[in-house]
Amino acid sequence: MEMRTQEPTPARAAGQPVLVAKGVEKHFLLAGNKLPVLRGVDLELAPAESVALLGSSGAGKSTLLHVLGLLERPSAGTVRIAGREAWGLSIQERARLRNQAIGFVFQFYHLLSELTALENVLLPAMIAHGRFAYLKRRAELRERATESLTRFGLAERLSHRPPQLSGGERQRVALARALFNDPPLLIADEPTGNLDSTTGAAVLELIFEEQRRRGLTLLLVTHDTTVAARCARTVHMHDGRVV
Amino acid sequence: MYRTFLSWRYLRARLTNLIGIVGITVAVGALILILSIMTGFLEETKRTVRGNLADLIVTPIQDTRSVTGEPVPKDARIAQRILVEDARVAAASPRLVWYGLIAQGGDRAGHSRDVLTDSEAGRMMGVQLVGVDVRSHERLGGPALAGMLALLGVPFVPERVHDDFDTTDLYAGLARPPHPRRLGAPVENPLDPFAPPPVRRGGSGPRRAAVIVGEQLFSSLRLRRGDELELATVVPDPLTGKVAISNRKFVVAGSFRSGENEMDLERIYLDRRELGDFLGGTMSFSEILVKTRDYDAHGRRLAVDMERKLAEAGAIWWNGIEDDLGRRGQVRTWEDFRRTLLGAIENERVLMAIMLSLILLVAGFTIFAILTMMVAEKRRDIGILTALGAPPRGILATFLLIGFWDALLGASMGALLGVQGALHIDSIEQWLSGVLGVQIFNRDVYFFDRIPAVVEPVPVAMIVGGAFAITLACAAVPAWRAARLDPLVALRYE
Repeated sequence: MEMRTQEPTPARAAGQPVLVAKGVEKHFLLAGNKLPVLRGVDLELAPAESVALLGSSGAGKSTLLHVLGLLERPSAGTVRIAGREAWGLSIQERARLRNQAIGFVFQFYHLLSELTALENVLLPAMIAHGRFAYLKRRAELRERATESLTRFGLAERLSHRPPQLSGGERQRVALARALFNDPPLLIADEPTGNLDSTTGAAVLELIFEEQRRRGLTLLLVTHDTTVAARCARTVHMHDGRVV
Repeated sequence: MYRTFLSWRYLRARLTNLIGIVGITVAVGALILILSIMTGFLEETKRTVRGNLADLIVTPIQDTRSVTGEPVPKDARIAQRILVEDARVAAASPRLVWYGLIAQGGDRAGHSRDVLTDSEAGRMMGVQLVGVDVRSHERLGGPALAGMLALLGVPFVPERVHDDFDTTDLYAGLARPPHPRRLGAPVENPLDPFAPPPVRRGGSGPRRAAVIVGEQLFSSLRLRRGDELELATVVPDPLTGKVAISNRKFVVAGSFRSGENEMDLERIYLDRRELGDFLGGTMSFSEILVKTRDYDAHGRRLAVDMERKLAEAGAIWWNGIEDDLGRRGQVRTWEDFRRTLLGAIENERVLMAIMLSLILLVAGFTIFAILTMMVAEKRRDIGILTALGAPPRGILATFLLIGFWDALLGASMGALLGVQGALHIDSIEQWLSGVLGVQIFNRDVYFFDRIPAVVEPVPVAMIVGGAFAITLACAAVPAWRAARLDPLVALRYE
């Protein structure tokens, strides 16, 4: 059973694009003036593709990431994820799509400090399942979470809380959490930005390893050109446009 | 799943939640306790007050300004007969109520003087004179006589068989043991209370009629059984219409204790015929006390029926005044008499409930404040949950559930505390009085010698329900704000 999550889904490997963004625009209102941040971005991510998003600060990387990650509504344009028009869905359905199709890894880990490492990893499954469905599958889900944390070298850290973990450990917990519902798309926002180079390299290694193993589509935001070089494709952003 | 899980985890993680829970516990506990005591107080008062009152009181208006011009019968027997004919009536006894002054009492009563000194005049006390029927001699002799007459084939109905003395308040007052700290002296035989007491001071002098004095009056005058007591009153002269002063010496047969302060302080009982004689034979009764078989079932109906029947028979006449219900105010229920007192207690209970509900509101505000703080503190968590796919509705439910746990824990602990407190309030009060060295519940002030408390399930359920409603309403605002939080604001910065 646990092997199921490690095998890339065949349909995923050869199907239609995981993400298609067309004409995405985003502007903010600042003291009554329109401040454009995204000026019509088109982006297509194929299954199992790894894409690095490069650009100077203020180029609109983060905003694009939020729009693609369904956290921020674009002013114009469309985003299709797993074949569904994401911003046309209801709030509930969009939340469900985010839960099922997108895994996030943030620069600052963003773990819940009240929860243990294991519970943090289980959180996406808790959100996905109702109370009774979850309790029914509890043993199986816990086993899966334990297995994935063990594989990430955190076997001794299952019941530790985030403040008791090092930065690298936290980021690995965050990665395990992002992948727990087995999403086709992983969005990583400078995942090594807060780590020293050795730890960062290890975490990055883990991300690419999982990307290959699962046939994930990876969208990686970074400053670092050496990191970007490891991705199959590089997308540069400048002044709200992909260049 | 995450909603229950996270709400419980957040609840446990912050000790401030405990303050909210304790607040609800105290509010619910206090509400239940106070309402139980007030309910007990009301019921106990009703019982005491009713114990000293007949179920119905027939009070014929005894003046000459009648609508028809016909005189009111001076004899109670006509009305009494009509009353006891009704199957719903258990007993009917007439009594004569008048007011007088104690001219002299206690040790000073022995030597009569024509002139009162100023200090003695200042000590004259107004009293209520109540003349009642005592059937004891008939009761004792009746059955034997009835049996004899029955043998001869003559149906025998004693004239006053229906006034059942042992159901009257006087009998209850005589049978009640005297207050431990007062100097009461019960009569020898409560069934024959006006039997002459052993005469003191040598036993000479004319034979005097016996009176029974309220216990507090008895002790304040330092009376003893067998003492003489001089009473004075004013009566209308039936012939001239002028008022005349009448005074007479009586002998004290003993004291009674009604448990009601005013009565024990102001009332003197004597035989109805003796009082009628003292008043110059102008009046024989002023009211008829009626005991019903089941007051709760048909007491009010009976009052209306009886008034009509008595008026038809001419036993009472009507002065043309009616209230909204068509009642002429001459047959009243005991509740009519105590409406103000019972209304005041009931009113107090409602006011108390409203006041204490404010505590609940304060507890609700505490929950509001704590949750608002928690939402601010957990902004980042809310952003993370959104990123992981929790819809706003789920965020709302998570924080609302924290309020729900607060209410559940607080209300159930409060209910437990309140109910247990109400059930054991007397021992708690005694323990607390002992610890503090202050008497919290002064048993001399009230009718009862224990704190009454009645736990009723409906008010308890309403209080618990109210606690839930207020807490959830107060939790709803921060929960709603949490649901509307922009996840990006929460996620963007560390």
